[in-house]
Amino acid sequence: MNRGMRMVEFSMNRPRLVTGVMIAMTAVLLLLAALPTLFPGVFFMLPPLRVDTDPENMLSSDEPVRVFHNQMKKALTLYDIVVVGVVNDKDPDGVFNPASLEKIHRLTEFAKTLRWPRRDDPTQYDGVVVSELLAPSTVDNIEQGGLGEVRFEWLMPEPPRTREEALAIRDKAMRLPFLKGTLVSESGKMISLYLPITAKDQSYRVYSALRREIATYDGDEQYHITGLPVANDTFGVEMFIQMAISAPLAMLVIFLLMLVFFRKLVLIVSPMIVAILSVIWTMGLLVITGNTVHIMSSMIPIFIMPIAVLDSIHILSEFFERYQLTKDRRKTLTDVMRTLFMPMLYTTLTSMAGFTSLSLTPIPPVQVFGIFVAIGIAAAWFLTMCFIPAYIMFIPQKKLENFGAVHAAGADEKPAAHTPVERILGRLDRFTWRRVKLIFAGAAVLAVLSVYGMSTIVINDNPTKWFKASHPIRVADTVLNEHFGGTYMAYLALRPTGAAESAEDFLAGMRERLEAFVRDHEGMSPGLVEAAAALRENADAAGARGADADALLAEAADFIEERLAAAAGDAAYAWEDLARFIGVERQRGELYKQPETLRYLEQMQQALEATAIVGKTNSIADLVKTVHRELFEGADEAYRIPDTASAVAQCLLTFESSHRPNDLYHFVTPDYREGSIWVQLKSGDNQDMNRVVNAIAAFTTENPPPFGLEPEWFGLTYINVVWQDKMVWGMAQSFLGAFLIVLLMMIVLFRSGLWGLLSMIPLSLTIALIYGVMGFAGKDYDMPVAVLSALTLGLAVDFAIHFLARSREIYAEKGTWAEAHSEVFGEPARAIMRNVIVVAVGFLPLLLAPLVPYITVGFFMAAILFLSGATTLVLLPALIKTLEPLLFPKTRVCTVTCHCGTCIVSGLAAVAVVAVNVQQFLHLGWTTLSWVSLAVLPLIAASCWLLSRRAQCAPPDDKPSC
Amino acid sequence: MKQHAMIRAALVATLVTALTQGVTARAQDLTDVNEIVKRANHAAYYQGKDGKAVVKMTIRDAQGRERQRELTILRLNTDDRDEGQKFYVYLHAPADVRGTVFMVHKHIGRDDDRWLYLPGLDVVRRIAASDERTSFVGSHFFYEDVSGRGLDEDDHELVETTANFYVVKNTPKDPRQVEFDSYKVYVHKGTFLPVKIEYEKGGKVYRTAQALEVQEIQGYQTVTRAKMEDINIGGETVMEYTTVTYEVGLPDNIFTERFLRNAPREYLR
Repeated sequence: MNRGMRMVEFSMNRPRLVTGVMIAMTAVLLLLAALPTLFPGVFFMLPPLRVDTDPENMLSSDEPVRVFHNQMKKALTLYDIVVVGVVNDKDPDGVFNPASLEKIHRLTEFAKTLRWPRRDDPTQYDGVVVSELLAPSTVDNIEQGGLGEVRFEWLMPEPPRTREEALAIRDKAMRLPFLKGTLVSESGKMISLYLPITAKDQSYRVYSALRREIATYDGDEQYHITGLPVANDTFGVEMFIQMAISAPLAMLVIFLLMLVFFRKLVLIVSPMIVAILSVIWTMGLLVITGNTVHIMSSMIPIFIMPIAVLDSIHILSEFFERYQLTKDRRKTLTDVMRTLFMPMLYTTLTSMAGFTSLSLTPIPPVQVFGIFVAIGIAAAWFLTMCFIPAYIMFIPQKKLENFGAVHAAGADEKPAAHTPVERILGRLDRFTWRRVKLIFAGAAVLAVLSVYGMSTIVINDNPTKWFKASHPIRVADTVLNEHFGGTYMAYLALRPTGAAESAEDFLAGMRERLEAFVRDHEGMSPGLVEAAAALRENADAAGARGADADALLAEAADFIEERLAAAAGDAAYAWEDLARFIGVERQRGELYKQPETLRYLEQMQQALEATAIVGKTNSIADLVKTVHRELFEGADEAYRIPDTASAVAQCLLTFESSHRPNDLYHFVTPDYREGSIWVQLKSGDNQDMNRVVNAIAAFTTENPPPFGLEPEWFGLTYINVVWQDKMVWGMAQSFLGAFLIVLLMMIVLFRSGLWGLLSMIPLSLTIALIYGVMGFAGKDYDMPVAVLSALTLGLAVDFAIHFLARSREIYAEKGTWAEAHSEVFGEPARAIMRNVIVVAVGFLPLLLAPLVPYITVGFFMAAILFLSGATTLVLLPALIKTLEPLLFPKTRVCTVTCHCGTCIVSGLAAVAVVAVNVQQFLHLGWTTLSWVSLAVLPLIAASCWLLSRRAQCAPPDDKPSC
Repeated sequence: MKQHAMIRAALVATLVTALTQGVTARAQDLTDVNEIVKRANHAAYYQGKDGKAVVKMTIRDAQGRERQRELTILRLNTDDRDEGQKFYVYLHAPADVRGTVFMVHKHIGRDDDRWLYLPGLDVVRRIAASDERTSFVGSHFFYEDVSGRGLDEDDHELVETTANFYVVKNTPKDPRQVEFDSYKVYVHKGTFLPVKIEYEKGGKVYRTAQALEVQEIQGYQTVTRAKMEDINIGGETVMEYTTVTYEVGLPDNIFTERFLRNAPREYLR
């Protein structure tokens, strides 16, 4: 305390020096951050500003699900996709009229131009992957040409001229399972174009270019652009724009409100400066240390600002109240700082604890966010302590002549309630003094309701829903998911992970298959029986030598070649047949050509589609079935998986003779060992994705996949589930840890377990109320809400600290709560109320933001301040009145260890803190930890009891020493 | 990547020297573009009365993953005007498509007739041939690249005559039928073999065919290794002609539907 006050005094004595140093530091930080950004490469020691809007980076890049996602994306050449839906409500046939299709064709041609030479390698392109674009003019139609004829042709080589031609295009597409519900809506009235992009961060550029192009089209068509990459990237971009709008707007409102309260422009500029400098310092440091400015970090300023202003408002408020008593800047300031120093220090520490706890979550950007907000809060505290006093010293005395509350009738008498704030507080004071029971009853009812509300909270998230319902992306999302199979992509991979068949099993199986082959072919191939016998002998001999399957087959193939070269006539044909048999045996590893695999995929797709969340699935099975159907005159009953691997292979070969043979390799790898089902979901909600995942888990338990194939999910929709899940639970855990740490801090601050618990009551009730209301309102517990819990924790305890610290101080002066309470409801309560109004109202403009997380921040900020202010001013005085004898004992020794209760409470909190954090880092099960903790507790209780019985803890005879 | 380019450059250089050395006396340069394309067309697709080639095809995707195919191409000229032709393409490998046959009766001035036989399904199907610029068995080559593109489908222009090559630019008469704007053919002066073809769209070359190796077989200069690259799709396909025979004496009747199911084995090895 003394050291702290010395810092304040130093600032008052040397205002110029302090201000100069402050400006210099700001300038240095600004330059270090800005120069490498503006002149990249010149300052090679320093990293430039790097912006990263990819929510995938919420998971660290070596996270297994991301590694697998990238591995499969590469193996199957999958791209992130921008979806453009085209709708025509005016035409009875939707977009299937010549005019609309012409525009779709034009838009497709335009989309093909949306690629740009890569900066680091101009021979490569970024943007749309032209060869993979899905549009009526770029996909194939397979159909019957005439009797016994199959036709491959572009679905729409050029825009149709007549209505009939337009409808013909629709009918063709509706017959192709991989186009229906994907390219053409189920209703047959809309078309979606799918633009694969080289990287997710290209999607906003593509999105903007498409919007500009579409703006030049006339006609009745509406265009909807969506897809997760667009939502993600657009969100990132708009988030930064919002930052530039919201933060200054909030500052402006706060500024105006302060002007109303303090009426002195020159004075209220100082909190603004503190807030802005804290933000510059923090963000500067963030850039200099080489951290990317991620979506999360872009929100740092909006978190730092209110916290930075809070302390200044307390100081100004006090200064305002007291200045007229002395008319001396220095003396008033010293008094104010002496009173406020400890509460301000602790409110800062608790807020920092709340945010630092985020560094324990397993999400890297959240860690960075938490640490830097904590740094910002520290910076704000430091600036408040140094700069505000220095600044006030700069203001000429005469400028402050008419500043502050005028205490007409002297200091001892109560000032007349002449402002609304004072009138309200006066009433509150009387209410809390008289209606203690009513207050407790009310609080109990609210608490019970809140707990019930909290129990109904649903943990769920969907990045698309971070946009308001009226945002074009949300509109597009709604429209497209209503009419198409779904725009949220997830992939279900099936890969062989089990051990290979043993050599003995393989040989036995092969002998059986050879027997069947001979049975099928001996009629047409004389000499086959003898040749097969020779082959079997050869294979058995190889097997006896211990050759594995590959070696055995290689040897058999050589053996056949040898005989084939020597043979002539029928014998040669027989060996030829056996060569084919061995060839197929060698391809048994090509699992995705085996009918069993394809039939299993088919069943799995049915299971997926039965969930009602999945609108559509595509797999290699659909390709094979479609080709098979068209090879058999388009008959519906031929829409099935053929019976042999070679029949499957030949269907695939037929497909490969189209315009887009490589489409096949989005479903299966070229070695036919790994593949995936494309799953289109109509909803990107985590809960929905989870439901699908569970449905498939149940399906595979009942129906184990053939060939030891193992299912595994990937795709953006699935990744979102993983990181959001991690985030929400990690956040909940770190929240618990931070809560305990704050409790410990409060015990230390007040040197009392009871006081510590007391100060946590408004905080707990505030949290319960906020989340209770969320539960009742049906708002999902999502990523932004999870992050905000840290803010709640840090801010909601502040008022209680100020209130209790001042109550204790005033009580010491007055001796009884009956005497003290009115004074507490004077100046200290006014400072709290002013803070509530300034910051809560200041953040209300955020409710108008187009991005839901900003609205959430605005709502939380207002709710935290309002509720914690209300609980502090209503509940705490009632509690103090009731607990007065316990809270203010007549005799006491000021050592924590002398208070058995305090000691036990601190011990419990400490053990819990350790337990919560150790659990996070060591991944110990709760049960082990619980046992250890339980064992520790009696030890603590016992040692506390012993400590409090020490001689030096015995109450002194004469009077209380504190 | 760089190493790759260097190997490619080296190959082209060897090829070019091989070609120039193979020619001793050179006639006066031709100036009539129609004559050039006619001779090039003959050299590329019509040498001999008939021909047989066993081809090893390596399809390499953008990631360098390879797939192999092995096939035999039988060809019979049905007139001596370098027009009518019949093709019989038999797949040997991979084993699961062994016995698959593509048959083409090529006509000038009207659509070709195409057949497909799939032994695993035991079906013979005609394939509507309205568009020949579809993939040939999943490779980077198109059907049209294997069987030849009608000379009357393009306007030809001799844009350059270098020491070794006639460079002919071909522009389609009906641009809606094809995906390119134009293509340039480098016709070797001595052999009239087209050794490089560059397809352009929007002023950029995106697809390139190259002859990597030329041998003289039975007196005919023959491309024995050819490559097709496509930067839009990525990757490349190399066709290696392991055995080439001219004047085999292929009977006309094997190019009929009857022989799809019963392959003429004696001509396929």
